[in-house]
Amino acid sequence: MIEVENLVYEYPTTRALKGVSLNVADGTITALVGPNGAGKTTLLRCLAALEDPYSGRISIGGLDTVASPREIHATMGYLPDFYGLYDDLTVRRCLTYAARSHGIAAEKAGAAVQKAAQSVGLLDRMDSKAGELSRGLRQRLAIGQAIVHEPRVLLLDEPAAGLDPQARRDLSALLISLRDTGMTLVVSSHILAELEDYCSEMIIIENGLIAGGKAIKVRDDARPRYMIELATARSDLREFLVAHNTDVIEADEHHALIAFTRNPSARARLVRDLVTAGFDLASFGESSKALEDAYFAQVGRRT
Amino acid sequence: MNPEFVRNAWLEMTPRRVAMMIGLLALTFFAAALVGGAEWGPSSVASLLYYVIVVIWGSRSAALSVVGEIRDRTWDGQRLSSLGAGTMTWGKLFGSTVYNWFGGLICFAVVLLNVAIHLGPVTALIELIYYLGIGVIAQAAALLASLIAISRGHSHSRFEIFAYQVVGLAAALAVYYVWSAADPVAAMTAHKSSTETIPWWGVACDARAFLLGSLAIFAAWTLLGCYRAMRLELKMRNGPLVWLAFLAFIGVYVAGFDAWLSPNMKGWDPVALRMLLAGTAFAVLTYLMVLLEPKDRVHYRWIEGQVRAGHLAKAFNALQAWMMSYGATLTTGAVLAAWLARDVLVASSGQALVLAGLGFLTRDVSVFVFMQTLPGRRRGDFGALAILFALYVLAPSILAGLHIEDFLFLFFPQVESPTWLGAAVAWMEGLAIAAASIARLALTEREERAAAAA
Repeated sequence: MIEVENLVYEYPTTRALKGVSLNVADGTITALVGPNGAGKTTLLRCLAALEDPYSGRISIGGLDTVASPREIHATMGYLPDFYGLYDDLTVRRCLTYAARSHGIAAEKAGAAVQKAAQSVGLLDRMDSKAGELSRGLRQRLAIGQAIVHEPRVLLLDEPAAGLDPQARRDLSALLISLRDTGMTLVVSSHILAELEDYCSEMIIIENGLIAGGKAIKVRDDARPRYMIELATARSDLREFLVAHNTDVIEADEHHALIAFTRNPSARARLVRDLVTAGFDLASFGESSKALEDAYFAQVGRRT
Repeated sequence: MNPEFVRNAWLEMTPRRVAMMIGLLALTFFAAALVGGAEWGPSSVASLLYYVIVVIWGSRSAALSVVGEIRDRTWDGQRLSSLGAGTMTWGKLFGSTVYNWFGGLICFAVVLLNVAIHLGPVTALIELIYYLGIGVIAQAAALLASLIAISRGHSHSRFEIFAYQVVGLAAALAVYYVWSAADPVAAMTAHKSSTETIPWWGVACDARAFLLGSLAIFAAWTLLGCYRAMRLELKMRNGPLVWLAFLAFIGVYVAGFDAWLSPNMKGWDPVALRMLLAGTAFAVLTYLMVLLEPKDRVHYRWIEGQVRAGHLAKAFNALQAWMMSYGATLTTGAVLAAWLARDVLVASSGQALVLAGLGFLTRDVSVFVFMQTLPGRRRGDFGALAILFALYVLAPSILAGLHIEDFLFLFFPQVESPTWLGAAVAWMEGLAIAAASIARLALTEREERAAAAA
């Protein structure tokens, strides 16, 4: 759905993106993570055809962002990190304006508004003014405006910033439900724990480049991530694990993060082999912080 | 109906505001009827209030129509809508000012009623055109100024918003004076032919028709400018053709006034004078646009990259208005210099003056570009203006004070002896600063790439 080839973006004083290439598959939720100033927002704005790249190419659903920006705008939803709402308009009017300005005919706008409001859980607030809503509800309204025209791609920049835990949980459920309708989502955030709930892939942006050069699978039910910890350091841990059909994500003398089959017999065999080979095994278990592990594994490898 | 207009109407035309406008105006007219006397009756007050509500306040509303969206962080959402540039432009222009127009039309109804009763329906119709025209042009000019500022990355402060409003008011003043000079009411009601003519392209044009026609054409260009600026905001490509058409129009329009110059330019034939006028207009537009347009060195590098890659059409389509205006000035100046060679009386001095002018234009444009390559370039335009002030005002004043006026040719075009010295110096200055600008652009690119690689 989204293809980026060697994207370079320059501000007058700095090169924000230095040759980013990535692919985002249809119907997925991809996390865009990285430290502040890494280039996440710039990348999202380029994807939204709001900024022209210096060089490189971005294709959204087969449309080039430079050649066909308005066509892309019509099929895209985008929620910036700092967004505004028309505080003096009711939720109904905010959504109606969003629908009409996205080309939905007047006679169909009412149904589209109802559907969007239902998706974001605002049906009972239709006559409330946007300025009277809580932060979480404002976030929902902003997302409702971005999806009222049922875009194929939805870009969200730090959507969970400032939300309380319940609102974050609701947001996760909302994003999963949108993905289940076939929408492709790219979500930028620096709160890894929250992304874990709904992202299938993660792209780490660091200093204008994709760390590791490609997206990382966040969760793979067939081959989850496991953390191995040794009580006594062994320098040959990596070699051993590679030889035993594991995907080593990160390893040093004391621990290893691997992707391995969920098959219980295979896991038991691996543990047995480790012990037999003299590794002083302190723990072996599925990683509960898969995204965080993957992030630091990737960033750590570069540094 | 236009969704942008409807949204603005929702926000602006709330029942409370509508009631307030009606109530206040009704009370004002009532008070004027009671105590205003013959001079300040309801009609006069209504006319004054129309200017206040539609022209003064309306210009501010129009200036805020996009700036306000940026300030309230709703502009990106609008840019991502499916609305076309035309729809967005008129939705903004008339939507953001719908409350002003509501009040203005109440005022105008009072004016119209008085005019229709006392002066007849024809006069009322002419007044309608005038009042609508001055309102739309003032608001469109303010909107255009705000859109140009947005493209430069400036837009938010109260002073800047006031500046856009002032542009609208200046346009309104121009309309007022042109309309007053043309006096169409006199033409239509008293059937008075214009007592004055305007010589244009050797034809004595009726002043009234000429002024009104010019007004209509420039208003159309202003609206087209709004549309084009909005296209850029919506990430649409403009291409160079409309600006080239504008240059052609301005060149032809201004060149027609050669009769005004001929008494002071002995020996210059009409063709040379017309080229001089057109070239001067192009030069003025070059200065104006190089000041107004964003001078983005990333954009300049991109154009250079396209030229190097042989993608000349892409590079041509990305040219900024000041570049095209500069090219038109150079071309016209070169043709003029060649044309002047036909006449031995003016050939040498005329050619030198024209070429010196082109050289100084090159220098001045290069100063603007050069200042953008320096650190702290957000104030680059201010720095460039300060340098030009020093070159054109301060340095010549000092030379005059020291009684060494012979060196004025170093700063602006002078017919000097030997004749070609001024032109040679101008071009040396121009090329030196142009080379410095290009070198700075290349150097900063190399530094940035080295920093990026590090």
